Amino acid sequence: MLTVTIFLPLLTGLAVLALPRGRPDLVRRAALAGAALTLAAAVILWAGFDPAVGGLQWRLTLPWIPSVGASYDVGVGGLSLALILLTAVLLTVVMAYVFPEHDRAHAHAFLFLLLATGLIGLFAAQDLLLFYLFFEVGLVPMYFIVGIWGGERRRYAALKFFLYTRAGSLAMLLGFLALYLAMEPHSFSLPAIVQARPLDGAPLTGGLVFLALLLGFGVKLPVVPLHNWLPDAHVEAPTEGSVVLAGLQLKMGGYGMLAVLLPALPETVARFGWVLVAVALVSLLYGALAALAQSDMKRLVAYTSVNHMGFVTLGVAVAALSGDEGVRRLALNGAAVQMVSHGFLTGGMFLLVGMLQHRAGTRDLDRFGGLIGSMPVFSGLFGLLAFGSLGLPGLSGFIAEFQAVGAALQLSAWVAGLAVLALVVTTAVYLRLVTGLLMGRAPADAPALPPLTAGEVWSAAALAALSVAVGILPATLVALLDGTTAALAHLP
Amino acid sequence: MTGGVAMGGCMDLGAVAPEMVLAGTALALVPAAGWARGRWRRLPAALALLALLAAMGLTVPMLTATPREAFCGTYAVDPFRAFYQLVIEAGAVVSLLSLASHFRASEQEPHHPVALLMATVGGMGLAAATDLGLIVLFLQMVSFPSYLLVLLVRSDGPAQEATLKYFLYGAAALAVMAYGLTFLFGLTGSLNLRAIGAGLAGADRAWVALAFGLVVVGYGFEMTLVPFHVWAPDVFQGGTAPISGFVSVVPKAAAFAGLLRLLLEAMPGALAAWPSVLALMAAATMTFGNLVALRQASLKRLLAYSSIAQAGYMLMAVAVAGRVPQALPAIGYYVVAYLLMNLAAFTVVAQVERMSGSDGLATVRGLGRRAPWSAAALTLALLSLAGVPPLAGFAGKVFLLLAAIDGDLAWLAVLAAANMAVALSYYVAVIAEMYFREPERPEGMAPGVGYAFALGLCSAATLAFGIAPSVLRGVAQLGATLLR
Repeated sequence: MLTVTIFLPLLTGLAVLALPRGRPDLVRRAALAGAALTLAAAVILWAGFDPAVGGLQWRLTLPWIPSVGASYDVGVGGLSLALILLTAVLLTVVMAYVFPEHDRAHAHAFLFLLLATGLIGLFAAQDLLLFYLFFEVGLVPMYFIVGIWGGERRRYAALKFFLYTRAGSLAMLLGFLALYLAMEPHSFSLPAIVQARPLDGAPLTGGLVFLALLLGFGVKLPVVPLHNWLPDAHVEAPTEGSVVLAGLQLKMGGYGMLAVLLPALPETVARFGWVLVAVALVSLLYGALAALAQSDMKRLVAYTSVNHMGFVTLGVAVAALSGDEGVRRLALNGAAVQMVSHGFLTGGMFLLVGMLQHRAGTRDLDRFGGLIGSMPVFSGLFGLLAFGSLGLPGLSGFIAEFQAVGAALQLSAWVAGLAVLALVVTTAVYLRLVTGLLMGRAPADAPALPPLTAGEVWSAAALAALSVAVGILPATLVALLDGTTAALAHLP
Repeated sequence: MTGGVAMGGCMDLGAVAPEMVLAGTALALVPAAGWARGRWRRLPAALALLALLAAMGLTVPMLTATPREAFCGTYAVDPFRAFYQLVIEAGAVVSLLSLASHFRASEQEPHHPVALLMATVGGMGLAAATDLGLIVLFLQMVSFPSYLLVLLVRSDGPAQEATLKYFLYGAAALAVMAYGLTFLFGLTGSLNLRAIGAGLAGADRAWVALAFGLVVVGYGFEMTLVPFHVWAPDVFQGGTAPISGFVSVVPKAAAFAGLLRLLLEAMPGALAAWPSVLALMAAATMTFGNLVALRQASLKRLLAYSSIAQAGYMLMAVAVAGRVPQALPAIGYYVVAYLLMNLAAFTVVAQVERMSGSDGLATVRGLGRRAPWSAAALTLALLSLAGVPPLAGFAGKVFLLLAAIDGDLAWLAVLAAANMAVALSYYVAVIAEMYFREPERPEGMAPGVGYAFALGLCSAATLAFGIAPSVLRGVAQLGATLLR
């Protein structure tokens, strides 16, 4: 079933390519059907998943390249399952969001579906070579999406995106190969590597592999100073591309840190824990401050992603440094919930900004005002997502950031203090966004804004509703994630 | 020496059956090509194709042969030879398909199969020869028809210049190499590679190093290793695209096979420094190739520098072939992957070139709309050259990197990874030109069944071998057994 979920989008994509030319409506419906089926399959996985059991479920292992000990090995823990569900939800939303006037509908649908296969496969892969394969399959389509359907500077942004992520992923590949060769007998199996921790007690190799993996995952997450590709890619990408880029692809880095870096190299990560703390704090503060300085709304939301993902790094760092199992668990839960929550919230934000841009032809914050009067539904959704993003209690962002900061407080009041400072700046960012866009009165030259279509409302409302659901009833999500984080937090 | 006295006893025509089929066909085609008129001009290519397929069929059984010598110790019958001969034959088949479309209804149509078959036989012989004399002979035999192939577009000024350059460099490099081989003979009194290996054990290191250095010049020329690569960009650009593809694949694969055989049979332990020398050459080759490729505006030149860089990646595993058992299958796998992606790329360039008469980067502008299938095939080939999964080039690069790290050349693996990151930018420059810009010319592509078959074969295999590398890897593992 897991394998079906992984390859369902790809098969749909191939089927879509075979549809007759000149029928974009048919293509869209088929792609949406494929996405919905994927979501259904993911829900079946969820229904068959028992959080109480722990360990990997839905496991399937087949030989792939036996001569080097690589296998097709997939299985899900709680974190993987949550991210697979997130992927399926966002894929469906993106495919439902009526994409405006895109030509080459076949290629468009195929690339998004291919990318979804890469992401779901990545979250399920239990073999490092397979993990790497899905990592790239999840990335390369985005290069084409940005380059073909992007904005004015799309070629530059696409190239920058590809070069950054490729440099990072090649470093990661070298790290994986070193881990593989350190295993006796050589193996790419992630559970086996986590079990054996082959590089504990090898300070030099361990440090180099840590650096390589940090580069790979750090570019994707992204952490400052590896974030430089992100604003360009997010701004130039078409709306649905930005949603997937922010909502899903950043999670590849976070998932890698939680599921590979931390458990495979626990000793080394602990040794460099303070480096990670510093990286996390710089990302938190830099992301927030840079967002404050933007007037292009897409750029603004892009920089807040740098800030939000800082909490993931912080969670990993605190978990690595702390000796207390409870604190470790709290920190990791914060990081994990943040990834899911950010997917809903920032995915939704990009969707709404995209709708605005599609109507007005501009994303400049100063050109808008008083939308609460002219576009009440839009304003309601926008406000909800913005307050969720700034961490208002009752919405999903709060659950995540509360846990991460709480765990950091156990480690050091200074670290927690700086994280809270970043939260304050983020609050200012969102308040500025909400007041500037929704309150006040419209400037004289404000563009005309037709109301949202039903499809648009539903796609954004679904994400807002999920964020509210997680905020009010966090227990379901936390119970799902807790199986993974408890295992990660458990000290040998 | 395994006594050359009993002449009758060491004649083993079965050992050269594939070569005889091809050479025989080539000789028969010489008059046939001269007489062919009108529709009959297609005949030589068709016959050559049949001969190549027959030769492949005759080569396959040797993949499981017990290694032995034929012709009094001058010719090997082992799985290693069978593997590289299959690679060379496959490269010739794909090149022939795209050449058949390319020269369709032109004056050259009946002639190219002759030269192509001769070069193929030369390459196959080089993979099997275990005798210094034969090595020199087959190196010439793979080179001379290649010169002719490049010259085949006779009216073309650049082609003539390219041929001259190719010939002069080739003659010099092969002469230097033959000189080096005479040292090996002088040191050991034998022409047989394994006898040389045994004899070199007690030889003077300085002389061995000198001989080795001279021999590497010749192979380095065929393999386009820095600093013996200078001919390649001009020749690849001057030749017509499918021929450049052939020249970038067949002589290179043959030279890798020849060098590996020489190193493993004649040099085991004789010279402790050869892995380091080759590692340095690999580093220089991949770095130089990639950096220069960044600045190319001609597609054929770009692919030429790319193929130099690719040779550098492969050489990485050659450097550790003596101490890492996984190195030989890694090289074998990569040679096949390289063949598929490089020939696919050159075939699309051939289509573009035939249509527009140029191979500038701008000729592929908007190709995604003008010719979606060719554009997709070129994209696949370029991404595979860049090492993006799940394509054959990716699995191949993983195998090469693993071999290098396992052989204590971690620094080289890191450098190779950095090179792959840099290389991406010139590969995607072509992709961006095809998909991210609107076409300026309305024309489609030169059609042709041969092109379509060549591209279909290469693309399908690039994908299939990338998704499920174990089949090809298993065959390459078979081909790692050689006479020692």
